[in-house]
Amino acid sequence: MIITQNITKYFGGFQALKDVSFTINKGEIVGFLGQNGAGKTTLMRILTSYLPATSGEVIIGGKNVAKDSLAVRRKIGYLPETPPLYPNMTVKDYLLFAAQLKDVSPKQQRFQADKVLGECNLKDVRDKPIAVLSKGYKQRVGIAQAIINDPEVLILDEPTIGLDPVQIIQVRNLIKSLEYKRTVILSTHILSEIQQIAQRVLIIKSGEIIVDAGLKDLLSGKGSNLEEIFLKLHSVQED
Amino acid sequence: MSKIVAIAKKELKAYFKSPIAYIVLIITISIFNIFFFLIIDENREASLRDVFKVMEFLFIFIVPLLTMKIFAEEKSSGTMEFLMTTPTTNTAIVLGKYLGSLMFFTLIVAMTLSYYFIIEFFGQPDRLTILSGYLGVWLEGALFIAIGMLTSSWTKNQIIAAICSYVILFLLYFSVSFIKYFSSTAQVLIRYVGTWSHSENFIAGIITTSDAVYYLTGILICIMLTRLSIENRLWR
Repeated sequence: MIITQNITKYFGGFQALKDVSFTINKGEIVGFLGQNGAGKTTLMRILTSYLPATSGEVIIGGKNVAKDSLAVRRKIGYLPETPPLYPNMTVKDYLLFAAQLKDVSPKQQRFQADKVLGECNLKDVRDKPIAVLSKGYKQRVGIAQAIINDPEVLILDEPTIGLDPVQIIQVRNLIKSLEYKRTVILSTHILSEIQQIAQRVLIIKSGEIIVDAGLKDLLSGKGSNLEEIFLKLHSVQED
Repeated sequence: MSKIVAIAKKELKAYFKSPIAYIVLIITISIFNIFFFLIIDENREASLRDVFKVMEFLFIFIVPLLTMKIFAEEKSSGTMEFLMTTPTTNTAIVLGKYLGSLMFFTLIVAMTLSYYFIIEFFGQPDRLTILSGYLGVWLEGALFIAIGMLTSSWTKNQIIAAICSYVILFLLYFSVSFIKYFSSTAQVLIRYVGTWSHSENFIAGIITTSDAVYYLTGILICIMLTRLSIENRLWR
């Protein structure tokens, strides 16, 4: 479903990604793990065609991200690190706007908006301006816009940041419910979260993938939990 | 096409959801009304010639306030990332945004139509000249908006966007005043690039192809440069 080959990204003289290659199959839920500044967001931005890679290739659903960007964008739902919201719009108007831009057919737009309002527990705030919503609600509106066109690939940059424990479980369940139907990539700092949602983990350090393994293999091989493995990997590499 | 309309509608609605739009509308129309009264009282003729000149002059100050947010706000709030990762072409984004602002500007111009009805009631104005004047003022504003949109695409900061468009609009509008300090070749160029000579003709009731081409080309160039500017990955 997603093939990246030797992705390198420079920002001026700074190398943000070094020769990143991986393949993600349809229906997989993959977690990107890494410290701040490791290159997770840059990698996600390249996958969504928002940033061009300096070199290398990304193929999503058989289409090249650089050459056939519109076709790739049709297949993708993306939640950036900061939910991209218009404070003056109501939740419903914003979702309808997102549906229009994401090629949802005019007949389906209202249906899809209602569907994601339900899935993300937003029905009680549908007519409120986004500006007055709490952070948790805003985050869920961000997720709602990402899934409004039933994308084949869902890319979520820190989807549970700013949510309370109940909301985290709701979002986690929402992502879990997409398993096998959609390919999901998410990044997070919360290691236990990856442990509960993802099937596979890519650990990124200073722009390089240092671990690419199934969660089960990883946990059975090197330690009892992901946190220990993560800390060990980082300190070992730094020694 | 439907996406252009969707973006234009969103832009237009956004104007009415911010206080700036109402402040600009009220202040603009109030100033226009005062000048309309003063000019008609002074000239005592059924013509809007001088009113159009005042409108055109004031648009230099008003338009950057309307256009500064077009892209700068999207960039600073992170919504640009949303727009550019939806399957929407950059051309549709730019055209939608341009149309939205143009519609708001057209509303300001439409509110001054009452001046025509007033002079029509009290005198016998030359309707074609007034129509041509309105077309000229509207085209001039449309060019100013395209310039404002372009400068807004350069930065995340709305103040910088506004200052850049003030500089460009001042140069375009006032360059003719300094023409005597330049050589004759430069004079021809400045006269053509400046807006003065072109709007003068429209306001006088003379519609020429070259003036229309001037405005339309200017708008097209700004739209194309804006598209290039948002495609530029340097700011991302």
